[in-house]
Amino acid sequence: MRRFLTFKGVVGLTLLTLIALVAIVGPLIVPPEAATAMDMTARRAPPSLRYWFGTDQLGRDLVARVILGARTSLEIAVAAVAMSIVLGLPLGMISGYFGGRTDNVLMRLVDTLLAFPALLLALTISAVLGPNVQNTIIAIGIAFTPFLARIIRGEALRVAQMPYVEAARASGTTDAMIMLRHVLPNIMPAVIVQATISLAFAILAEAGLSFLGLGTQPPAASWGLMIQASRDQLDIAPWTALVPGLAVALTVLALNMFGDVLRDVLDPRAK
Amino acid sequence: MTYILNRLLSVMLTLFLITLVTFGVTNILPGDVAMMIMGTQSNPEALAGLRESLGLNDPLAVQYGRWVGGMLTGDWGTSLIFKQPIAELLIQKAAASAVIVVMSMTIALTLAVPLGVWAAVHRDRWQDGVSSTAALMGVSLPDFFWGIVMILVFARGLGWFPSSGFVDPAEDLAGTLRHAFLPSLALGLGLMAHLTRMTRSTMTGILGQEFIRVARAKGLSERTVVWRYGLANAIGPVITIAGLQIGYLFGSIIVMEFLFSYTGMGWLTYQALLNRDLPLIQATVFVIAAVVMLTNLAVDLLYVLIDPRIRLG
Repeated sequence: MRRFLTFKGVVGLTLLTLIALVAIVGPLIVPPEAATAMDMTARRAPPSLRYWFGTDQLGRDLVARVILGARTSLEIAVAAVAMSIVLGLPLGMISGYFGGRTDNVLMRLVDTLLAFPALLLALTISAVLGPNVQNTIIAIGIAFTPFLARIIRGEALRVAQMPYVEAARASGTTDAMIMLRHVLPNIMPAVIVQATISLAFAILAEAGLSFLGLGTQPPAASWGLMIQASRDQLDIAPWTALVPGLAVALTVLALNMFGDVLRDVLDPRAK
Repeated sequence: MTYILNRLLSVMLTLFLITLVTFGVTNILPGDVAMMIMGTQSNPEALAGLRESLGLNDPLAVQYGRWVGGMLTGDWGTSLIFKQPIAELLIQKAAASAVIVVMSMTIALTLAVPLGVWAAVHRDRWQDGVSSTAALMGVSLPDFFWGIVMILVFARGLGWFPSSGFVDPAEDLAGTLRHAFLPSLALGLGLMAHLTRMTRSTMTGILGQEFIRVARAKGLSERTVVWRYGLANAIGPVITIAGLQIGYLFGSIIVMEFLFSYTGMGWLTYQALLNRDLPLIQATVFVIAAVVMLTNLAVDLLYVLIDPRIRLG
């Protein structure tokens, strides 16, 4: 626990807690209408006491949009990473545990998928399925699966050679039972670390997809969408880009800092 | 010899798998390509005719065979939105993107290597802190955010570089470089962050080794020790990581070329995806994956040239 109390750990965890609070509690306080309510008398109003973060081209309050955008971005990122774990965990574990031909075939497939840049794969899947929140989750989830499968496979390979696994095998425990009781708990630290880092990438991917119009669709509030809308008004209303941009940056920074410390604590070998 | 032969076979197999994945992903498409071309209002008979002439009624295996066969014989089909042969489009746009790829990689490496070495030499001191913080910020900011900042500062504010567009190098080479600079810088800064972290950790490992101590004990200058002994050994892993970043670069290039309206490969891919130009989607996705795979192969082989300790067996 003491090792969490580094500068990075404390700042990362504090930021992360704050952002999570905003994403969870924010929508309870800020009604969804607030993010779409237009004030035509205050279009592109710069940050002021009335509008802390300013307003966008339709006179919508950026505070409300950033808060509701936090919900969208985090929801998509968490669901996508969860999906990539659900897909990647069995794939990586079976590959690493059984080794041999199974491993060869599965990893050949994973390596092929790794040749596709994750963002390109996510964009393609999203374009093909039709862009909406659910398909954005599926797209990012599938695009991230090969990375997770690769890392989990490496861990499973290491654990499968441990004496306690051999002992379990010698005592006649079935492979499925060994994987569940011995391999899974021992690869969990690495999975948790990787999931945290993947969350940071998923936030970036969602922002990228929405920025390109192939993720969350308007009028929903999403950080990537907000940045996209700001493109045509950069010189007259730069805050419309900087506010959501900083929101993404802060969230990813917090996740990266927390992930770094988590790795030092849970997985010291990877340092 | 066997190594090279095995490697070639493996490349062929991976290319084949890449075509399968590309075709598979694009054919889960619930939409109807014929309807995409003619619009939803077109009459059913014309749609059926088009479907027949495009071969959309054939079994998937036949369609796949036709697609791969076409690519092998140089017939990559015609883009639905640009009404132009795809092979021609690809060559044009790939050249434009190559400028950005080379430029951003150069920017990233020239900044990251000295910064990483500097951090490793001053390990755990303020210099290390500055470099790590800069790297962490770089990793955390979305690269299109960098792009927007670049546009605000260097294009709109200072007016030094154009904020959008592409110029054919055959007409005006300086113009090409000026248009490619801001997107390359934005991409380069994102790449730099990863590479700085890698250079630092590799260099830290090497500077702690015996032969470095021996070199210092011999009385060699610190500069010789760090750059000739240290970096010479660290550069291999750093280049490998740089090669692996090519995949990331090709993902980001889509966003960046869109932001800067730079009409390269990323922009082309985006247009294809946005307009559901199926033949063009398949071609661009396949080419990008193939390029990423071949770059990684080239880096592996380059590594052998740089590091004489590795022997091909």
